[in-house]
Amino acid sequence: MSGLGGREQAVAPPPDLRARILDASRRDRAPGRPAPDVPDISPVEGFNRSRHAFFVTLSELDNEQWRRPVLRDLAVQGLVGHLTGVEEDMQRGLDGDPEVAQADHVTSTQPAALRQAGRPPAETQAEWGQAAQQTLARVRDAGDLDAVVPVYGLPLPLGMWLVVRAFELWTHENDIRRAAGLPASVPAPATLRLMTDLVAGVLPLATAGAGVEGAISLRLVLTGPGGGTWDVPVGGPDPDALPMRIVTDAVGFCRLAANRAAPADLDLDLTGDPGQAALVLAAATTLGLD
Amino acid sequence: MLAARLAAGDDQALEEAFDLLAPAVYGAALYVLGQGSAAQDVVQDVFVELWSHPDRYDPAIGKLRTYLTVLARHRAVDLVRSELRRVARQERHYRLTLGRPDPSPHEEVADAQVASVVRDAVQLLPQEQRHVVELAYFRGLTCRQVAEVAGIPEGTAKSRLRLALAKLEAVLDRHLLEPS
Repeated sequence: MSGLGGREQAVAPPPDLRARILDASRRDRAPGRPAPDVPDISPVEGFNRSRHAFFVTLSELDNEQWRRPVLRDLAVQGLVGHLTGVEEDMQRGLDGDPEVAQADHVTSTQPAALRQAGRPPAETQAEWGQAAQQTLARVRDAGDLDAVVPVYGLPLPLGMWLVVRAFELWTHENDIRRAAGLPASVPAPATLRLMTDLVAGVLPLATAGAGVEGAISLRLVLTGPGGGTWDVPVGGPDPDALPMRIVTDAVGFCRLAANRAAPADLDLDLTGDPGQAALVLAAATTLGLD
Repeated sequence: MLAARLAAGDDQALEEAFDLLAPAVYGAALYVLGQGSAAQDVVQDVFVELWSHPDRYDPAIGKLRTYLTVLARHRAVDLVRSELRRVARQERHYRLTLGRPDPSPHEEVADAQVASVVRDAVQLLPQEQRHVVELAYFRGLTCRQVAEVAGIPEGTAKSRLRLALAKLEAVLDRHLLEPS
């Protein structure tokens, strides 16, 4: 549109307009949630969707891809066996088995990984699929997602366990896809939102022993569908905490938390002390959400 | 990055956007409306829209400043058009009524507000064009009478009216301005 004569000029708005507009904006859309927003799904559904995505990826593999080395000393088939063992351990945890409560994640599942040797891949896939279905049926029956389930030395609420498991399945799905030469997959936004919320929630624990000096008021901004904004108290709540802001892609940050990416791999926008920010990011890689 | 932060729900990004761009947005609204309170409402509409629907801004198409100032102009023009439509409806109603009853105090206030909006829009025209518009539309003179009062040839009066209308076109609905 052309003007009516003269030129537009920037004009300082009245001082009270800023507060009025910020208040109206926050009333219209609460801070923290992404826009467009994603539907909230339950941890059960998040686990179910990751389970389904994992199954679909396995179905794309040929016999040669099943034999490719993927993680630690495991081939793809052995890794799927490891995940069958995890499902069995989860079910033992739901039964209140004290042994699995203190078991080591890798050691406990090693027999399930080793027994895949020489089996047809379809058999391995079917065994894992059945075990994951059983876990799903058990947690649907369990109902109370706040009930604490101790597995692998971690007494976590069942709901949190399911998001950890969704994270684990997505991470290993991408381990397999990388080994098989397939493009990386991204969780559906609603599932990713569960995962980013989990990472932001447990980040203070990861940073506790990371050498961060003093208290930091971290604003974590994870961009893209399934992202969001969180204020994370690093070093505990403190009114004198130094401000820090980390802005990066939600999927990339989840890869960091799964120890599948390094801070240098991320497209980061940082404000605050760079040295302290590096410590926070390094701490995120120790979350071990794989 | 600001757009991505807004989409991620970072309200500090909104504060930064306001501090950086509100003067340009307010200036754009004032340019069309010529009055403070309506322009402030437009600024509020623009920033609430940015915060609530950040996905409607595509950084690949242009700068955020451009997007917001264009949005402010559109909102301001919509506001003026809406007021003009209302006054035109009222005028048509009065013309069709044999005897116009005395306006109520409420109607007088509403009429005064509408008149203010119209006057503000016309005030943005260059002086020569504004003068002929005022004679033709507010005093109801014909082009020949406008020329006589303004002391200019009739052709010049017509050409100034045409220019004025062209400039007002984006703001005012032309059919609402047809002189009776």
